[in-house]
Amino acid sequence: MLTIGKLATLAGTTSNTLRYYEREGLIPPPAKGENGYRLYPQDAARRVHFIRQAQQCGFTLSEIRELQTLEQHASACCSDVRKLAIEKKLALEAKIKLMRAMSAELDRLINDCVHGAHSLDDCPILNALNHVPVDAEQ
Amino acid sequence: MKIEVFYADGCGSCGASRGDLKEAVLAALPGGAVWCELDIVKNIDYAVELGVLTVPAVAIDGALVFTRLPTAQQLVSELTARAEKLNGH
Repeated sequence: MLTIGKLATLAGTTSNTLRYYEREGLIPPPAKGENGYRLYPQDAARRVHFIRQAQQCGFTLSEIRELQTLEQHASACCSDVRKLAIEKKLALEAKIKLMRAMSAELDRLINDCVHGAHSLDDCPILNALNHVPVDAEQ
Repeated sequence: MKIEVFYADGCGSCGASRGDLKEAVLAALPGGAVWCELDIVKNIDYAVELGVLTVPAVAIDGALVFTRLPTAQQLVSELTARAEKLNGH
């Protein structure tokens, strides 16, 4: 059995994170020793590793819970997991697209402000941000 | 009208009824519909451009219309309504 500190070290995380995963239902509540300390089974490290890997791929905790459920579901198959992964990629790509558009908008504002010596009243960036489109005024 | 169905290989909700759907559409709009099936993994940029976030999904004339596979009746109704609009009815 592993104490919370040992499990955290094995899984490359912290005790607080493990307690958080437990509260979120991602790892089952462990048995407690005579001293009241949490004691985890050896395979808990694999489970924590799974959670951390999935987080690195952009999955939220509720999506990870869904992945864990699929993993335990006898009738589920690999294509169910693949579908979730594809939908996660679609969401990430949509975010990237939005961020590229935001970055391009910032490029435009930066290029409009080539003379840094303007007073704040004449700052093209602040003026552009203050500009209210005619449609929005109506 | 161009109907584009985004699917994922092996996706249970994508495969089974796609053929029936195609048959129903082509029967309802003979000569008036172009049916395309797109593997979402190979067309991810295009799917993102249309705002597709779930699979399967259906776009009509380059706009996302169904975020899941519709029934044949839903799709045919949508296409018929669009065709009537185009013809000025």
